[in-house]
Amino acid sequence: MRDEFYKTLASPIWWGALVIAAIMPFVLSSYYVHILTLALVYVALASSWNIVGGMAGQISLAHSLFIGIGSMFSAALLLKLGINMWLGLVISAVISGILGAVIAWIDFRFQLGHLSFVLITLAFAEMGSIVVEGWDFLGGASGLLLPKDTGNFLAFQFGGGHGAFWMMLALAAICVLVNVAILNSPLGYYLRTIRDNEKAAQAIGVNILRYKITAMVISAMLASVVGTAYVRYLTFADPYLLISPVITIEIVLFATVGGLGRAYGPALGALLLVPLGEILRGKLGSTLPGLHYFIYGIVVISVILVTPRGLLPLFERLWARWRGPAVAGKP
Amino acid sequence: MTELYQALAQGLLIGATYGLLALGMGLVYGVSGVVNFSHGDFISLGMFMCLALYSAFAMDPYVSIIITVPLMIAIGALVYIFLIRPMVGHQFLMVVQLTLGLSLVLQNGILMVFGGEPARTPSFVESKLIILGDVVLRVPHIVAFVVSFALAIGLYIMLRSTDFGRSIRAVHQNAHAAALMGINVGRVQVLTFALGIGILALAAALLLPGTPIQPTQGLRYTVITLLVVVLGGMTNFVGIMLGGLIIGIAEAFGTIYLDGPIGLLLPYIIFVAIMLFLPKGLTWSSAR
Amino acid sequence: MLEIDNLVAGYGGVPVLRDINAKMAAGEIVGLLGANNAGKTTLINALSGMVKPISGRILFLGEDISKLTPQARVELGIVQVPEGRLVFPEMSIRENLLLGGINAHARKHRPQQMEKVIGLFPRLGERLTQSAGSLSGGEQQMLAIGRGLMAEAKLLMLDEPSLGLSPLFVQYIFEIIDKLHADGLTILLVEQNLNLTLRHAKRCYVLERGQVAVEGDAETVKNDPRTRSAYLGL
Repeated sequence: MRDEFYKTLASPIWWGALVIAAIMPFVLSSYYVHILTLALVYVALASSWNIVGGMAGQISLAHSLFIGIGSMFSAALLLKLGINMWLGLVISAVISGILGAVIAWIDFRFQLGHLSFVLITLAFAEMGSIVVEGWDFLGGASGLLLPKDTGNFLAFQFGGGHGAFWMMLALAAICVLVNVAILNSPLGYYLRTIRDNEKAAQAIGVNILRYKITAMVISAMLASVVGTAYVRYLTFADPYLLISPVITIEIVLFATVGGLGRAYGPALGALLLVPLGEILRGKLGSTLPGLHYFIYGIVVISVILVTPRGLLPLFERLWARWRGPAVAGKP
Repeated sequence: MTELYQALAQGLLIGATYGLLALGMGLVYGVSGVVNFSHGDFISLGMFMCLALYSAFAMDPYVSIIITVPLMIAIGALVYIFLIRPMVGHQFLMVVQLTLGLSLVLQNGILMVFGGEPARTPSFVESKLIILGDVVLRVPHIVAFVVSFALAIGLYIMLRSTDFGRSIRAVHQNAHAAALMGINVGRVQVLTFALGIGILALAAALLLPGTPIQPTQGLRYTVITLLVVVLGGMTNFVGIMLGGLIIGIAEAFGTIYLDGPIGLLLPYIIFVAIMLFLPKGLTWSSAR
Repeated sequence: MLEIDNLVAGYGGVPVLRDINAKMAAGEIVGLLGANNAGKTTLINALSGMVKPISGRILFLGEDISKLTPQARVELGIVQVPEGRLVFPEMSIRENLLLGGINAHARKHRPQQMEKVIGLFPRLGERLTQSAGSLSGGEQQMLAIGRGLMAEAKLLMLDEPSLGLSPLFVQYIFEIIDKLHADGLTILLVEQNLNLTLRHAKRCYVLERGQVAVEGDAETVKNDPRTRSAYLGL
């Protein structure tokens, strides 16, 4: 099963796509580089969420907590305690991982059925935003402002613009690769078994709690790391963006639109929707605030109704049909 | 002592309305197995409809329900038929994402129409107070309490002793057997969802007087409703009303006795504590 | 009264039943036999409208009902007492009976019908307010049959009424079935218990892998070697 992962690592298409993406900053204007950077943030977040939400079928709405810890907490550590952001990144990731394990355990303890996970995680997300907005150490409701990014790599600075883009590209690629790796590992197999039939998985002796916790910990730590990089890029740690449950909802919807449980599905969803949303916001944001969210909502509802498994399977079908006659035409 | 009575009274009054919000969600869950994550945004929608009717015709929220309730019932029926019904049966968890998407649409649709500034809708009872000893009660809260309990009791009687109510319970207990009785299960599901949304229109008018509203509030109402429903064991009628009161009281105690985030967190802490000891919620159903 | 013409039916377009042909006259009691998974429950669910036909027709009182919804069929008097009884456990006996007569046709005569059912099952009448979930298996079966009668059944389809009951209760239930038959009710009896069915049903159909393997009067079915092989799945 692991072969698939090594094949991906050795794939020229993969590396070709990465190289093409990496030269984008030299081709595009800084506005579009900014939009692509944001898209990559959401590629990374949606892909990390996919490990729990897509592969294990556990619709977690708690990921704003992990993003929030990764961003607000590491920013607070730097500003309030002078802790280097690389270290902050690690501390935040560990805390996120522990919190993820606790949430997965509590869900297991409650045993309320499939929907319970969604409900519990949403309650946790809401609690998190209340804590951050009311706790001065984390900047409270007014947020935190990071020092200017001078490009000092040792201080977790990437020189803004191009540097941030490459950082995000690397993170997004890692998150997608982790997806490929897990999907082609025993863990991925057990997660799918749990998703498709939890009772049957239990009956054949799958240690459900262990795999649920493992998936949640990996997913939470990745989301936290992306959060730290995201806040460094934004410079301003805005609690209403970073710890609001809405950011999780966005991620969930991107992953759903692209294709849940697929290695490239969430990435596809984010790459399509984030630029669309950002361009709409840039053009109409002042006259029609919220239009991009409105469009996201309409898109996700339409995609779910038309192709519930997401756009990736749909594109694959279209691709197969387009290639079909050509292959058949050969002698 | 005064503070204690004040907190208890305030919590009970608001808690009854929370119970009512949760009853709508619990009924829908019981009949269709659907949890609507745009629940709170429908409350918002109800409130902003009242605001629009006030701005246009100076209509009091309590009068607006004549228009908002039928309108919301119709919207609820359409949402169920065209969006949720295609998902029921297959792709069940997709209803979560679908209603999350719907939540974004409603919230930002409201934002685009009304703008993001907090708004108030006055009512003739808005500033009236009743003073009982040292306890000060706002009349809108008392109205909300009385109407919520009256509605809850009405719903209870409807479920117990009308054919429609018995159909709802039959579909909840065994949809297959209900269909064999000649009950149109699909119709019961649509009507229950529409009824649940209609209840929200009423609850919106009850919560509105004196409360500033903004489009982004929906999610918070959804979460409060979820806490109450889960606490009440998802479908247990009495459990849900009790859960509403507990969350209401926890909220009142939190804001009166505790400062800052801990106060706001109190309902969640109480929720987690109760759930750790009673994982199935506040249910003591005699059968099963 | 009932005529099944080349019926093909199944789940999700996959046929379980193939080319079923069968007939029932008014007032008849007919047995439907077969091993587990032979398609018995699928057939009565097709008659109830819970399973959509892929092709073929079902005629009831001369009318094609194969496109009708389950509730329209209940209104016509085609009533199923399902396997495992499926009473509503969190409701009282009275509420269960009221739900039995909830269809538009039967609703008008519920009080009279309720009296008849209580006359037939005095045991139910004694504890109308008790919750159905607290009843014994035999009592639940009485309630399920009573609930079916509340619908003013013209054709009563009983799916495995003896399942999981003590011999005494089985005897009692079958006495009731004979009594209903004597009163002129048309009954389709779905059973796995071969001998029991052959004793009460005048005619039988034996299903094997979704097809009618044997049909005829009780004696013929009993002596046909294919009946045995259908049961043993040989």
